[in-house]
Amino acid sequence: MPNINAAAVDLFTAKAKPVTIEVSTVNTLEEAMKFALEVCEKKTLGKSLLPGTASPDAPRKKTLAAPALDEQSWSFLADGGTKKDFEMVRGGLRNYLGGIDVTFSVADMGIADTATSVIECEKEDVRLSTMICEIHVVALAKSKIVSSSYEAESYLLTALAKDRNYTAFISGPSRTADIERVLTLGVHGPLELYLVLLEQ
Amino acid sequence: MSLENMKSYHSSLQQALDDEFLRKTLDKFAVQFKANRQTIFADVNEKELIAEIAEAKDESLDHLDELYEQFCQHAAKKGIIVHRAATAKDACDLVCQIANENKVKTVIKSKSMTAEEIHINHALEKNGQEVCETDLGEWIIQLRHEGPSHMVMPAIHLSRYQVADTFTDETNEKQDSDISLLVKVARRQLRSKFAEADMGISGANFAVAENGTIAICTNEGNGRLTTTLPRVHVAICGIDKLVPSLHDALRVIKVLPRNATAQAITTYVSWITGAVDCQADVPERRKIFHIVFLDNGRSQIVKDRKCRESLRCVRCGACANVCPVYRLVGGHQMGYVYIGAIGLILTYFFHGHDRARVLAENCIGCEACKDVCAAGIDLPAIIQEIRARLNEEFGSPMVPALMGRVLASRKLFHTLLKFAKFAQKPVQSGQYIRHLPDIFIHGQGFRALPAIADKAFRDIWPAIKPQEKPGGVKVGLFAGCAQDFLYPGHLTAAVKVLSKLGADIKFPDDQSCCGLPVQMMGQRKYAMETAKANVLAFKNAGVDHIVTLCGSCASHMKNRYPDILADQNMDDDVKAFSDKIIDFSSFLVDVLKVKPEAFKNGGEKVGYHYPCHLVRGLSVVQEPKVLLKAAGDYQQSPEEDVCCGFGGTYSLKFPEISATLLENKLNNVEATGATYLVTDCPGCYMQLNGGEQKRGGKLKVEHMAEFLARHMID
Ligand code: SF4
Ligand code: SF4
Repeated sequence: MPNINAAAVDLFTAKAKPVTIEVSTVNTLEEAMKFALEVCEKKTLGKSLLPGTASPDAPRKKTLAAPALDEQSWSFLADGGTKKDFEMVRGGLRNYLGGIDVTFSVADMGIADTATSVIECEKEDVRLSTMICEIHVVALAKSKIVSSSYEAESYLLTALAKDRNYTAFISGPSRTADIERVLTLGVHGPLELYLVLLEQ
Repeated sequence: MSLENMKSYHSSLQQALDDEFLRKTLDKFAVQFKANRQTIFADVNEKELIAEIAEAKDESLDHLDELYEQFCQHAAKKGIIVHRAATAKDACDLVCQIANENKVKTVIKSKSMTAEEIHINHALEKNGQEVCETDLGEWIIQLRHEGPSHMVMPAIHLSRYQVADTFTDETNEKQDSDISLLVKVARRQLRSKFAEADMGISGANFAVAENGTIAICTNEGNGRLTTTLPRVHVAICGIDKLVPSLHDALRVIKVLPRNATAQAITTYVSWITGAVDCQADVPERRKIFHIVFLDNGRSQIVKDRKCRESLRCVRCGACANVCPVYRLVGGHQMGYVYIGAIGLILTYFFHGHDRARVLAENCIGCEACKDVCAAGIDLPAIIQEIRARLNEEFGSPMVPALMGRVLASRKLFHTLLKFAKFAQKPVQSGQYIRHLPDIFIHGQGFRALPAIADKAFRDIWPAIKPQEKPGGVKVGLFAGCAQDFLYPGHLTAAVKVLSKLGADIKFPDDQSCCGLPVQMMGQRKYAMETAKANVLAFKNAGVDHIVTLCGSCASHMKNRYPDILADQNMDDDVKAFSDKIIDFSSFLVDVLKVKPEAFKNGGEKVGYHYPCHLVRGLSVVQEPKVLLKAAGDYQQSPEEDVCCGFGGTYSLKFPEISATLLENKLNNVEATGATYLVTDCPGCYMQLNGGEQKRGGKLKVEHMAEFLARHMID
């Protein structure tokens, strides 16, 4: 049983709320994936932001992307998605710049005091998937939550020592207040962010 | 361009003051920002973090070349192409060259102040590239061909209706003014720009030397798309953004978003190193990644002892958010590319002394910016320094030069004042000056100006001098010119209070003006001479404390004298002097430990105005309230610590702004139902009392010493 810092988990949950992150808790990664499938099922089909790029005749299906998943998890998710008639996307995200409905990611780390998910995304598909979706569902193991960014330092130093790395801190849906200082979500990236905590 | 000369600047200021939308927006913003900032800083140690950032930044500035070398070594191994540009033009040429080499037609940008600094859009457009901003605010002002009016919220001066019109023009479709719909329009329009662009230009909040990484903070996520979709990524980054370690960057991130937008962190922080995966049409599917480090005078600023702190700036924009002048006139009048206090400074260094000449005058010196600066920069001191340099370069305006000479020479000053006392007779009416020809008091109609007192305090003193109290706390009274000659009543009240409380009071005769007015006018030489005279005047006075009734004198003498007199070989005397300086309220509460029983409290409703230099310059917060509660029924009013608009000669130079600040202040206090308004500074007193007289209001304005003297138990 990996160590869980209960105080950090509580702090994370408390800090998530004001930055419009919806937090829920499940036991396993599979349950988190089921959660993502449900979210996708419930949402209305997104409209393409690039009309003309997708083939206009075919009725569009809902799209669910998860480019960073390992084989086993992907096949579980893809099975579930196909059954629900979703278009399941694992790569070639550049072909979906008009937008995808839901992206499912697994965070490498969580930082409690800012409700941050740390996601390594050197692969372009991973980066794009977390930006061009309407809803982003992130699974985060409780054991990977640290209290503050200083505690994530050694992890980050290892990542950034590599020849190539792109690590994202994500702490909520894309937001702006550039018009009359009114907070508005989803200006370029996701409109909603669901965080699914895993009891592990 | 309104920064060309004072005349056109004043007319732009008036236009801004008349812009009702701007005024309402910035008013609301100023109030909300302060409250939100306080909340978001609640779970960190603000002062400690800021001090750490300042120290670390100073350390980095000492080693910029080494940090650059270290960054380059890591970058080279990782396939990042690093350039260093000496000037803005060099940087633009470099970026254009990169664009040409890569056959770039379209460019998208995520927000970067450094890119604005060098006017990269203009250069690229001239070079044949199409450039599109992707930060919502930047895009809006790009479409409108305007400059930013805030460093973090560049379109804060625009209403939703103006944005709807702009988007209607851009899309050729009528757009609704609903903000969430407008944001959707931007999402749709900009997505295709992202999809098509060949090159992405970003800034960098940090360049981490220990591993060749840059970090970009955004809320919208446009930074992530800008650095992901195009084949080529160019990051433009001031050399001052180099930090030794990741830890340094993480530390700044704890303050920057809190200070910028009262967020614990920006929604996105992207850490990028190496030529990352890129599925566009590029060799080996690796991003073509260039970083252009911009010097543009920064290496010189590092060597500039008095201004180098300005390079600590992390561009949070908070110095504008809290600036009372910014709040009234907005960013287009309070900066050029960089906005707010730091804008006044950086315009001087990056965008020409001509523009800076006008801007550098428009700081009231209230220190609100210094108080919140994420990097602990003494912004008003640097602004004053720049004013002094501009005076040296362009020659001083006539009046300040004359005034400087007069204030520095105690004898000349006193003779002149005595002469003025007679000269004013024809225009005097009681305690106030009336009917001065417009040439003397242009735009000053918003407040009654005080007349010079019949007898200066220094001439009253021999008659009221209390008997020596051998066992009492030994205190020297510093009169300051305003109270000595305009309001001797404040000082006689103070003598009454102090002596009732058992203090042994001395009044060294050789003291002079504190020197702040001449310092504010950029008259360096005279500021030094007056400072020296005062240190010497009190040197052998045999006192343990030096009390002033003026927050500005106190803060100037305590905080600035050591620097002003640094070259005078009198460090020990200066230190002894500065250590003894204390304001009247703090002296009563903290040194004399006065008890409420000392006063008869008749329940007079009394409000308080915090002099800027008392509350921020000396961090005095509680003491005045303790006293007012002891002697009256203290009424808290909103924004007690916002400047009243006096600012010494500022109110003569910018009467339109001064008058508006004053009106807000008096309205706020009147609304509490108070009948008295008390303050701890003769300048604020002059402003508040003059304004209330002029508008015929009911508030009676008093100096703390007067209010307490009236309530002392005999
Ligand atoms: S000192 Fe006051 S007026 Fe001057 S720039 Fe700072 S906040 Fe603005
Ligand atoms: S000067 Fe200070 S407050 Fe102003 S933008 Fe820079 S860091 Fe922020």
